[in-house]
Amino acid sequence: MGRKEDNIKKATEVMHILPQIRNLCIAAHIDHGKTTLSDNLIAGAGMMSSDLAGSARVLDFDEQESARGITINAASASMVHAVEGTDYLINLIDTPGHVDFGGDVTRAMRAVDGCFILACAVEGPMPQTETVVRQALKEKVKPVLFINKVDRLINELQVTPEDMMARFTETIKKVNKLIKQFAPEEFKKAWQVSVADGTVAFGSAYHNWGITVPYMAKSNISFKQIFEYCNNEDQKTLAEKAPVHEVLLDMAVTKLPGPVEAQPYRVPNIWTGDLESEIGKSMLSCDPEAELAMMITKIWMDPHAGEVAVGRIYSGAIAMGESVYAIGAAKPERVQQVSMMVGGDRIPVPKVVAGNIAALTGIRSAAAGVTLSHDKDFTPFEAIRHYSDPVVTVAVEPKSMKDLPKFIDALRSLAKADASLQVTTNAETGEALLAGMGELHLEITVYRIEEEQNIKVKVSPPIVVYREGIEGNNRGSAFEGKSPNRHNRFFFEIEPLSEEVVAALRNGDLGDGPVRSSDAKETGNKFGELGMNKDLMRKIYAIKGTNVLVNDTKGIQGLHETRELIIEAFNAVCVKGPIADEPVQGMFIRLVDAKLHEDAIHRGPAQTIPAVRNGIKGAMLRARTVLLEPMQKAFVSVPNNWLGQVTREVTNRRGIIEDMPSEGEVTTVVGVLPIAETFGFSNDIRAASQGRAVWNTENLGFQQLPPQLFDKVVAEIRTRKGLKPEPYPESYYSE
Amino acid sequence: MTAEHTKAPLLPNTGLMLIGMGPGRLSGMSVEALQAAKAADVRRYEAYTALWPQAQLDALEAEVGAIEKVMRPEVELPEALFELARTSLVALLVVGDPLQATTHVDLQLQATEAGLECLVFHGVSITTLVTGAIGLSNYKFGRQTTLTYPYGGWVATSPLEVIAANMHQNLHTLALLDLDPTGEGIGHQIPMRPQDAVASLRLMWDKLADAIEEMPQETALQSMRVEACEALLSGDLDSMDVVLCSDMGTDDESLVATTVAQLEGQLGGRLNSLVFQSKTSEVEEKALLRWR
Ligand SMILES: Nc1nc2c(ncn2[C@@H]2O[C@H](COP(=O)(O)OP(=O)(O)OP(=O)(O)O)[C@@H](O)[C@H]2O)c(=O)[nH]1
Ligand SMILES: [Mg+2]
Repeated sequence: MGRKEDNIKKATEVMHILPQIRNLCIAAHIDHGKTTLSDNLIAGAGMMSSDLAGSARVLDFDEQESARGITINAASASMVHAVEGTDYLINLIDTPGHVDFGGDVTRAMRAVDGCFILACAVEGPMPQTETVVRQALKEKVKPVLFINKVDRLINELQVTPEDMMARFTETIKKVNKLIKQFAPEEFKKAWQVSVADGTVAFGSAYHNWGITVPYMAKSNISFKQIFEYCNNEDQKTLAEKAPVHEVLLDMAVTKLPGPVEAQPYRVPNIWTGDLESEIGKSMLSCDPEAELAMMITKIWMDPHAGEVAVGRIYSGAIAMGESVYAIGAAKPERVQQVSMMVGGDRIPVPKVVAGNIAALTGIRSAAAGVTLSHDKDFTPFEAIRHYSDPVVTVAVEPKSMKDLPKFIDALRSLAKADASLQVTTNAETGEALLAGMGELHLEITVYRIEEEQNIKVKVSPPIVVYREGIEGNNRGSAFEGKSPNRHNRFFFEIEPLSEEVVAALRNGDLGDGPVRSSDAKETGNKFGELGMNKDLMRKIYAIKGTNVLVNDTKGIQGLHETRELIIEAFNAVCVKGPIADEPVQGMFIRLVDAKLHEDAIHRGPAQTIPAVRNGIKGAMLRARTVLLEPMQKAFVSVPNNWLGQVTREVTNRRGIIEDMPSEGEVTTVVGVLPIAETFGFSNDIRAASQGRAVWNTENLGFQQLPPQLFDKVVAEIRTRKGLKPEPYPESYYSE
Repeated sequence: MTAEHTKAPLLPNTGLMLIGMGPGRLSGMSVEALQAAKAADVRRYEAYTALWPQAQLDALEAEVGAIEKVMRPEVELPEALFELARTSLVALLVVGDPLQATTHVDLQLQATEAGLECLVFHGVSITTLVTGAIGLSNYKFGRQTTLTYPYGGWVATSPLEVIAANMHQNLHTLALLDLDPTGEGIGHQIPMRPQDAVASLRLMWDKLADAIEEMPQETALQSMRVEACEALLSGDLDSMDVVLCSDMGTDDESLVATTVAQLEGQLGGRLNSLVFQSKTSEVEEKALLRWR
């Protein structure tokens, strides 16, 4: 106890010595041991009793997290660690591994300069490993690698020392390949990880040991010894000789950059303001005496304090009681409390300075991604983009109408805390549609409404969100949409965008929304780089999601006047397509001709919007519309005795088995299956394997629904929405 | 009872008649227009683009028989109207002169295409009235336009472009004022007041300034139009000269020559239109003095 208080005191002192700060996060595929490691580091640094580490999962302090054994929230904790007599302050963020909560990882990356990528020694790098490496590199966050669960390799799989080395080499090679692929040019080489230079560690977070080559040299331990300790089931001694927190915190201090080193290249990556300006310079140099610039990366609900905003300070300091602007809000707000985070504890401090991560209360307009400053007109940080296509929806309403105001309030703050959650409310009926990343995501959200906000709710069974797209094109056969007065006609041709362009749109690399004509040239050039016709793309009107609208006409008098109406109609179709009012994706829409009435009075919204809407919908039908459904990749690891039952569960759900690698007595079934069929999968698979199966998933995006299911599914969706069961034919849109 | 006996000798038994009502006074309608209206089996009054005072409308009904009001969709999608005209003689009464608007020319063409007899009875148009009454030379007017309401946030720019293009060629512009704040042609009509017109003009002015770089310049005419807009925008909206014409062709007719800035304080009449004058001759200047 005394040690903990002592450490908190030290932390508040070291916070001011910039070269002695490290901000980092732990990211990995689900279950690779992030939280176990985080706890270990916290315990080792004297922030909790070391007996608890490995089982308490301090950072999974949410009741649901403890119950489910997974991390849902990115939680942060600060600790002090000494290297060669100097104290360092380490601000650590543990992140979730479950795909449903991927947005949290992206946001955490904005707050840190370095990260531990964990890879399970048995499983090696998994899809989510690739995702987190990419997320880190996009934010110019330097990765180092920890190969965890080495004990399992030796004890369960009983590999030879040679085998073990070969596996390590393989894992390192894969991670380096990802770094080479996704790192910014200047770091592709410099950030390669290697055993020799100490940017790779091995160990067992669960059994509290870890090792790097520099630490081996320092402590005189050899690989052979490690192997023997594990084999002889004496990992306790190993943990004494090479405690994982020592080794990894040493690695963090010596191999990961501090804010002073990182901000010069990180700030230009996330802030578009003038770097030569006073504030620009002070951010580059991480000046604690300068003006405040802070970015909020996380909001969580504290049962007592309410909304807590956590974020990184890039310049200046934030102090209790002062007023700051959440950029975009009209009025400044008072900071009620400033704290540092230690597991579940918020430790109030008078102020926190640049280069650190702080938690604030009192800033009601803060949300993840918001910039705080004393200057109302401060250029905000770049938005944190996490492209998340919600795939599952539930309808939720309070059981008692008297809870309605409270319910609406709860939804508002949930949406603010969780950018991956889409909430649409009907203020009259009190029904809300929650669209999220998966069944689990929505279950957790509903749990929060019920338990944390104390509102009993009725929940509909989950429904997947479909997409509408096209499989052909109507090039050369433009579809004509007419206005109700028939004096305005718009002609459209549609084709699918290439996968590369769709990916770039998803990433947000090309922007979203109407493109101002002054920006069209630059945007057009970006499309040009992706292989599209640059001159044509310079006539872009708008982007909506993964759809693009271009004005491919010349010299039409009056078109500029109707431009915004055309865009409005385009947006409407992108949100509700012609088949089933579901969102549309991947379309390249060209307006190829238009005939307009001479007089504005006859070509206003009431004329232009339906004409364009019909024109685009008709063109989609002519280009052959398809319905797409969200897919998931499932990795189910199961002892061979139950393999048959598990494969049956997968294939019965329209699943396709892609691979079945086995490791000793355990086989992993890798299957691709429609999310629509995965509801209840968890229970069924547990029952089928008597609880022996361990599984996780990855979202694969959308794939075409099998044609034989088309009519049935479309009728289901349409009926649910109160539409007539069959969609309209093409001819309907030329009326 | 068949209609034959009551019909004037030259009228057919079935078909569509487009009847000009003139600007707003029963006594301003032509005798043949009145006769035709009276002879029709069915009378519809198109109340979308312009309106008559209620009292005059009542008088007309007393004179020719019951009249039913219709809105834009009935005229733009005229199937029902044509159906009627196949078995009876239908009169569509239109304020002013029917063939001044494309909508009615289109209707005429469609009716003929549908094999219906389609007759036209002209009325006095606001165009004729205004140019004459103000005293600006008829041949110095350019294209006419309608100042639209900002429909749900959407602002037109073409009315201002028309004014600019006319001015650029030293031509005056007659601008009719919108009646329909929704732009949908179905709801309750509220004729634009002078202050609404000024508000709308200001929005158009700002939008045009933003949109000018997007205007097409493929033809000489289009380039001229852009040049004209640039010239207009380099000036000042408030000081533009304008004549407010209220309730033309009715007992309440009035004319006021003023500027856009001062138009805001004018009450106007039931129905208003504006004339944006360009360079004036000596005679025109003298004629305008009467309305200052
Ligand atoms: N044998 C062994 N088990 C480990 C090790 N590290 C973690 N585990 C176990 O792996 C499981 C998952 O550990 P967590 O720390 O919750 O994993 P996580 O990466 O935080 O999981 P998410 O947050 O859900 O993505 C737990 O049962 C741990 O006890 C290790 O080094 N060896
Ligand atoms: Mg975890």
